[in-house]
Amino acid sequence: MTDTTSVLGYAWPLVASPGEEITFQLSSPTLPSAEAVLVRVRCGDPDPNGPGLRLEELPASFDRTIGLTHQPIRPGSCAVVPDGPPLSALQSFTVGAFLWPTLPGERIQTVLSRWRGDTKEGWRLGLDETGRLEFVLAMQGKSWRVATTEPLLSREWVLAGAAWDADAGRIRIMVRSADPQAGRDRSQVVEAEGPTSMRWPEATPLAIAAHASTAGKETFEGFYDGKIDRPRLYAAAETLDGLHRLCETTSFPTTDQRLLGAWDFSRGMATDQVTDLSTQHLHGTLRQMPTRAVTGANWDGSTDRWTDCPAQYGAIHFHSDDVADAEWKPTLRFRVPTDWKSGFYALRLRAMQGAEPVESFVGFFVRAEIGKPTSKLAFVASTATFLAYANSALRLDQVHAEAMLEGLLTLSRDDAYLQEHRELGLSTYDTHADGSGWNISSARRPILNMRPRGNVFNYGNDTHFIDWLEAIGQDYDIVTDDDIHRHGVQVLKPYTCVVTGSHPEYISREIWEAFDAYQRGGGRHMYLGGNGFYWRIAYHPTVPHTIEMRRGMTGLRTWEGEAGETALAFTGEPSSTWRSNGRPPQRLVGVGFDAQVFTHSSPYRWLDGARAPGLGWLTAGIDLDTPLGDFGLRGNGAAGVEIDRVDFSLGTPPGTVWLATADRLGYGGTPAPEEIRTLHRGVMGDQNAQVRADLVFFPTANGGAVFSTGSIAWVCALSHNDYDNNVSRLTRNVLKRFLDPAPL
Amino acid sequence: MLVTYPEAAHWPIDPARLDLVEEFRAKPRGPHGDELQKLLHRMRWNGDPQSDGRYVLVVTEPGKQWTLGRLPRQRGKPIELMRNHVFTSIAEAEWEVFKLRWEALTGTSLPPHLSGPLA
Repeated sequence: MTDTTSVLGYAWPLVASPGEEITFQLSSPTLPSAEAVLVRVRCGDPDPNGPGLRLEELPASFDRTIGLTHQPIRPGSCAVVPDGPPLSALQSFTVGAFLWPTLPGERIQTVLSRWRGDTKEGWRLGLDETGRLEFVLAMQGKSWRVATTEPLLSREWVLAGAAWDADAGRIRIMVRSADPQAGRDRSQVVEAEGPTSMRWPEATPLAIAAHASTAGKETFEGFYDGKIDRPRLYAAAETLDGLHRLCETTSFPTTDQRLLGAWDFSRGMATDQVTDLSTQHLHGTLRQMPTRAVTGANWDGSTDRWTDCPAQYGAIHFHSDDVADAEWKPTLRFRVPTDWKSGFYALRLRAMQGAEPVESFVGFFVRAEIGKPTSKLAFVASTATFLAYANSALRLDQVHAEAMLEGLLTLSRDDAYLQEHRELGLSTYDTHADGSGWNISSARRPILNMRPRGNVFNYGNDTHFIDWLEAIGQDYDIVTDDDIHRHGVQVLKPYTCVVTGSHPEYISREIWEAFDAYQRGGGRHMYLGGNGFYWRIAYHPTVPHTIEMRRGMTGLRTWEGEAGETALAFTGEPSSTWRSNGRPPQRLVGVGFDAQVFTHSSPYRWLDGARAPGLGWLTAGIDLDTPLGDFGLRGNGAAGVEIDRVDFSLGTPPGTVWLATADRLGYGGTPAPEEIRTLHRGVMGDQNAQVRADLVFFPTANGGAVFSTGSIAWVCALSHNDYDNNVSRLTRNVLKRFLDPAPL
Repeated sequence: MLVTYPEAAHWPIDPARLDLVEEFRAKPRGPHGDELQKLLHRMRWNGDPQSDGRYVLVVTEPGKQWTLGRLPRQRGKPIELMRNHVFTSIAEAEWEVFKLRWEALTGTSLPPHLSGPLA
């Protein structure tokens, strides 16, 4: 059994040009060293039934043996306000916010604090281990505490706060439920004895949704799960009504010098900055990218987009397991040689863990320099999709996974590791510990399924296409989603033909428009996948290799977004499916996602369209009376896993030639939710011909064209019979013609 | 938000329907008839509530060898490997887990002619 996780790492940047430096951030809790070798990836799927792992070792400028250290990951998001005189001089004060806790009772959670975890000194407002709101002040071995008597409810808004009256030597905790009827009322004010003066710890930041572990360091603990809206800090002891006024107020007179902090989370939505409206300017910085652009306690349903009314989106949803940056130090620096071809690459790390061999990879990509193509063909590394799936724990956490996948879950060593090591951060398919969906994914952390030997879905499957290109001797460049997003059609334009792989599912507006412009400009686009161009995402405007998505209320999704939270914090754009954004995939590539099928895959049967005169170049050497693709590594057929169909009402171009279809998928063919408006029995593939994969061709403007296969399983059928089969032949026929500049 | 209800799986299993067991043993990877589909769906959706975790396979050698394991219902807890249950085909593993689930859900043991390894 090969150990794939005893050493892990990530490359930064994830995508580099020849001549650029990449750093590898590595960590191992057990290995003192490992052998490090750079490899070019031809096939990353170790399955012995296919081509198997095919990696080309490359010379490197560094020593093969590299020393390793353990670098922990510190998950958990919070806002941090640097210490300052107004905070360290604080005497009587009121602190509070609107709260929507999502895991009350799980453990001690801090909402607002200036508290040192190591010495247990300072003040903190938070939840105790039973979910009751508590306020604690402590110094030099003495502490004062007051708490409510009932735990807060999960996912119910409350006004929550506390006050210390130094003159009276009293402290109080205050809760007012937003919806106080039908068993939801947790409103309460409890008073207790407090100090008459305090000496606060020094060099301790004010933290929102956590507290400092110690003084003088940027480490935090006591993370809170849930939303915090309009937090306030006021240098006088207020009543519950006074606190309520403070939190409801969003425009403060500058004359009131007692206002120390009034944070407006609706400002700078795409940034890591939190803005203080008070004259103290106690602005803060967010750690680990919590979810912004979420509904506040005052959201009234009048809009579902934060851009329409930011004031109703003044909350941040913090998660104790948020991770956007592992913050590891570089272990190895490497400058990509200028003569390297573009491609999928990895750093291979080998060692022995006891008697067991370790072989772990860190994936990265080398792009063809923009505007300097070395081939007429470009293959797109679907890096947005790789990020969306990064460290997917879907099969571990979602109880329907085995039913959906129609068989026993087969888990890898990576899965077993992820089950125990949630600090890696999960994928946009997953949910946080509090059940809320994971919206953001970044590449500044180890990604187990974007590397050789990783679980084969998008990344591993796509390397089967690279393997096929190498097998037929076809040269190619690699371009990435990240670059297409940033630089638009100029990334695609130099190529006569561009191929998107098995599952280019996650697409920003910029990427969509680049493909659209490429097609209109005479480009040739081969879409050799299924469920492509499906979800609308955004890239972070400044942080590289970081995407955001919102699942919304439609589409085949593993969790449902919260009402009112369909717009992206990064850009303000709507997210959800492209179909619900007026751009069904059919409009771009002729086919769009309709179903998944995991029982088995199927062959296509040829339709009359394939026999049309003038398409001899496409079908040359192929018997149209024989099934197309009754073989393959994914379910023993070329049509399967996730599949797409023609629909002229959804935008399949009128000029489409419908070449072949696989519409007999059996009971395992399960339609996507958006394919069914009303319910009736018989919607599965054994009774429903709308559950199918379609193969299409259509010409575009200026001599361009599109060819689509509508199936994830397609590329995993290419290597069958030593690459001599009708799926390979058809793909090769189309590629040959698409690389011919003569107009189509 | 993700809300899932494995206990919603309530298709009644009739311990007398050994014909379904025979059908599964003959073809563990399908295709299956309507009633066997429902039986399998009940088992797979339900996720082994009587056990310490869901039965899963852990790949010991890609494409060649798998070890039976139990996936805990709680995040962060390790998968328990059952090292005396090692398989060289997925079909064998499916059959082994089918038998465990049948006995757990029906409370009855399979007769000797159906309790052995895959035919």
